[in-house]
Amino acid sequence: MSTSPAEATAAPALSRPRLIVAGVLLVLVALVVGAIVGRVTATSTAPMPGESSAEAGFSRDMQVHHGQAVEMALLVRDRSDDPEIRLLALDIATAQAQQQGQMFAWLAIWGLPQTSSEPEMDWLSRPVIDGSAGHEGHGGHTPGEPMPGVASFEQMQALQNATGVEAERFFLELMIAHHQGGVDMADAVIARSGHPQVTTLARGMVQLQSKELDYMSELLAARS
Amino acid sequence: MADDTSSDDLTIKQQREKRRAEKVANLKAKQAKEKRNQRVGVGAAIVGGVAVVAVLVGIVVTSATPPVDPATIEVEGLQTFDGLEAVHVQSAVDYTMSPPAGGPHNPTWLNCGVYEEEVPAEYAVHSLEHGAVWVTYNPEQVSGGDLDTLRSQMPRSYMILSPFSGLDAPVVASAWGVQVALDGIDDPRLREFIIKYRQSPDAPEPGALCSQALDGPGKIS
Repeated sequence: MSTSPAEATAAPALSRPRLIVAGVLLVLVALVVGAIVGRVTATSTAPMPGESSAEAGFSRDMQVHHGQAVEMALLVRDRSDDPEIRLLALDIATAQAQQQGQMFAWLAIWGLPQTSSEPEMDWLSRPVIDGSAGHEGHGGHTPGEPMPGVASFEQMQALQNATGVEAERFFLELMIAHHQGGVDMADAVIARSGHPQVTTLARGMVQLQSKELDYMSELLAARS
Repeated sequence: MADDTSSDDLTIKQQREKRRAEKVANLKAKQAKEKRNQRVGVGAAIVGGVAVVAVLVGIVVTSATPPVDPATIEVEGLQTFDGLEAVHVQSAVDYTMSPPAGGPHNPTWLNCGVYEEEVPAEYAVHSLEHGAVWVTYNPEQVSGGDLDTLRSQMPRSYMILSPFSGLDAPVVASAWGVQVALDGIDDPRLREFIIKYRQSPDAPEPGALCSQALDGPGKIS
């Protein structure tokens, strides 16, 4: 401050409390600016999502979700000799297995267990970033309910027991529902995360799986 | 302002007094304004200060969700087994611990899931290598509603649940190289063990498939 002691003593009743208030305010403003700047710069370089973060919940649930897609793709590859279906299945299996590995490594780096301490999809109850009510970007899914688009034990067994065009049709139906659920889950984490790696992978999932959804609808129509 | 006709009627003394009264009024208004400004200033400073503190507290609180480093989870009574050989054998294996928690195993793994019959150990051990947790229960001690509860606690993937006759404890949880004997289905260490070891990076091949190989008898989900 530029106020000299002489000036301060000239009007002590007014300037001393003001000086104190101004000083305290300056310190507080500096603290806030420091905390915010530190936080923002930290987020862009070394983010460490916590145990109950949307990022951790997504990374765990999506690994399981992808795991079933890989399983369905491998099943149909063994049960169909159609080159288009077999190539699509190979594409899905390898792409999603690789993405599972990415999410596995994130959790390991973040120092978090692969297994959640809360029910699946509970991370939907974390707030969305734009401050809207929280119903954005999870397709009407209720937090804590089973993952969307997952095939049941009976459906997986039916796929296992099918062959030829029947297996292809069943695979396409299951995988279309699976991809729709996957896109909803990816949208949900995009709405809740500012983590660059997580949102980049999730956007990639939305983009790729949306394209595959159109393609699978065509393949299914050709078999109906 | 007062109009000219009325001020003309006033004597000099009256005019002087009027001017003085105006001055005093002005000064009082000025002082009141300053006082008000000061009060507003102090009020704003307090509000601002409180807001700033609230923001800081908010930042600290929201960034303080502690990570659960799997390494910090301690499972009481845990047994560990070192030097396990991850080799494939077609023959039956004489494991040093029961149920087996790692070692030589069949080239075919057991598909993960819930079984109501005993499963072949040499195949289940291969699944442990892939990062599965194998929960076994003594069918004489765990049945009916307890068994339903136990089944409902199993994660969707990378889990095997099966009966194991002659088990020394009601429930035993095993992963590659680690095992814990549990007092019952509501022993809190079951959950700790699953969180710590299911798909643990310490397993030899976490994430390798736990499906599409052998469906043991009595697989119900």
